[in-house]
Amino acid sequence: MRWGPLTALLLAALAAPAEAQAPVDWSEAEIRLVGQHGPWPPPPVRDPSNRISDTPAGIALGEYLFNDARLSGDGLMSCATCHQAGRDWSDGRARGKARADLDRRTPSLWNVGHSHWFGWTGAGDSLWAQSIRPILDPEEMGGSWARVARLLREDKDLACGYDRAFGTKPDSDDERLLVDAAKALAAFQATLVSPRTRFDAFRDALVAGDREAAARYGLPEQRGLKLFVGEGNCNACHFGPRFTNGEFGDIGIAFFVRPGEVDSGRLGGIAALVASPFNLLGRYNDDPSGTSARRTQHVRRLHSNFGEFRVPGLRQVGRSAAFMHNGGFATLEDVVRHYSEVSPDRLHSDGTPLVRPLGLSAQQSTDLVAFLRSLDADPPTRPAPPPLCP
Amino acid sequence: MRLLAVLFAFFFANAAWADCPLDLGRGTGLVIFSDHYMIAFRPDPLRIEVGEPFALLFNVCTKSGSAGELVSVDAHMPEHKHTMNYHPSIVSKGDGRFRAEGLVFHMAGHWEISIDVRAGEEIERLTHDYYIK
Ligand code: HEC
Ligand code: HEC
Ligand SMILES: [Cu+2]
Repeated sequence: MRWGPLTALLLAALAAPAEAQAPVDWSEAEIRLVGQHGPWPPPPVRDPSNRISDTPAGIALGEYLFNDARLSGDGLMSCATCHQAGRDWSDGRARGKARADLDRRTPSLWNVGHSHWFGWTGAGDSLWAQSIRPILDPEEMGGSWARVARLLREDKDLACGYDRAFGTKPDSDDERLLVDAAKALAAFQATLVSPRTRFDAFRDALVAGDREAAARYGLPEQRGLKLFVGEGNCNACHFGPRFTNGEFGDIGIAFFVRPGEVDSGRLGGIAALVASPFNLLGRYNDDPSGTSARRTQHVRRLHSNFGEFRVPGLRQVGRSAAFMHNGGFATLEDVVRHYSEVSPDRLHSDGTPLVRPLGLSAQQSTDLVAFLRSLDADPPTRPAPPPLCP
Repeated sequence: MRLLAVLFAFFFANAAWADCPLDLGRGTGLVIFSDHYMIAFRPDPLRIEVGEPFALLFNVCTKSGSAGELVSVDAHMPEHKHTMNYHPSIVSKGDGRFRAEGLVFHMAGHWEISIDVRAGEEIERLTHDYYIK
């Protein structure tokens, strides 16, 4: 009896490295699933609801406005205060902070142009509508239409940048000028595309059948990826090249903001969307075909919307300071532990069996984290923008 | 193939349905039928992508030859126990033709499409299994 545990230990010691070294086999079906997470980068987006989307002059004006603190009520806060280029377009905090502490985490803006719902609850249906919210929100920048409009009219460079972007001089319609400023902000943000990663090199090699190139991707990463598209079923929601299907889910994250107060998630998001004069059904949508408004027109309120949050994309995820809408997890290890141990009682929806405790082994957990980290890469440093109107 | 054979046998045995136009503009779509209805439909665009809005074009025919109406279209994932996050709207194009707009399959896998039709008082539900990769 005394040698029992020792033998077990020895066996484990022998078995572990062998398992850790074994090459990973990829079936046709798995290769197809992995292929769905690329190619990367995607073609540039053109948003038909924004007439200056994907135009150089619109993008240039947007970058200036993004960094301009004069958009805020006290002249001290710009978009870049919270969405910092050097911090993957977020703020390095678990939850946002302005005048007041915010209840949700500041999302990174990488690849934001490819979304169709914006914010953690999809309260915005276009990137430009979403860019209006922080300007007017008294808890965030506390600005106003009049203030933004005056800035566009009176600042010589901005007025010139506006003229170049829109083909007319800023006029006296304050609300429209605010929307136009947001459309320029959107044009700029849509250019923020995350760099290619080690995962992308592997994905392309696997799809092309290039075994030599594929072998450069670590075995833990490969095993983690296999789990992600297989047993873990992570790709049911984290689907496609951005690792999100762009919709909403409930994975059992606490929704109490503070005792007695809940974040209703998507439920509140739909209410805000419907109430917004800036949604795609309103008069500021530049798309005469109406195609861009299809989701807004048909979106459906469901009981399960309560406590649902947007499925985040996972590119550059490991570079985040915290995870989930409320910044409730500090590390990727915590996130994976959550998926491994989540109690079904914590799921607020009516028993959708998409999230269940996976009961991962220590090695599986490390593998999954290794895979998630392979979705990160250092972005090239950004050059300072050229002058708006030299 | 088997479905097609059954369909043809059915077709010729039921002369009344021979008038039902199954062509939906880009070749014949999927065909489903019950004792009272025969419905041809196809997605627009033809290839449904996960997470991308699409429409369904319908031809609703009745065995009696009376006008059939498409009342509603919906879809859910039986294994995941959830519906679509969108509620399709229906536009009648006349002559038993309809267009359901605003569908989105937001996950890969098995979707059951339910199609409610009526030609009088009673609504009948026909279903079709769709697998999206
Ligand atoms: C005080 C910090 C702060 C400032 C300033 C700020 N944001 Fe944000 N931003 C946030 C937070 C927090 C969220 C998440 C909001 C939510 O979903 O409830 C967010 C969400 C967003 C989103 C949605 C991202 C996504 O993934 O859907 C966009 C786009 C955005 N902000 C753009 C801007 C722009 C443009 C400005 C300047 C006009 C700006 N933000 C200013 C904190 C800030
Ligand atoms: C039912 C859909 C669904 C499935 C399945 C799912 N996720 Fe998620 N995931 C989400 C949602 C929704 C969030 C955000 C929840 C929130 O903020 O409250 C999220 C958040 C995350 C985050 C944090 C991202 C961030 O920026 O904060 C990571 C990492 C993650 N998931 C990885 C995984 C892995 C690994 C799996 C498989 C084991 C998985 N997910 C399965 C829906 C899903
Ligand atoms: Cu599903």
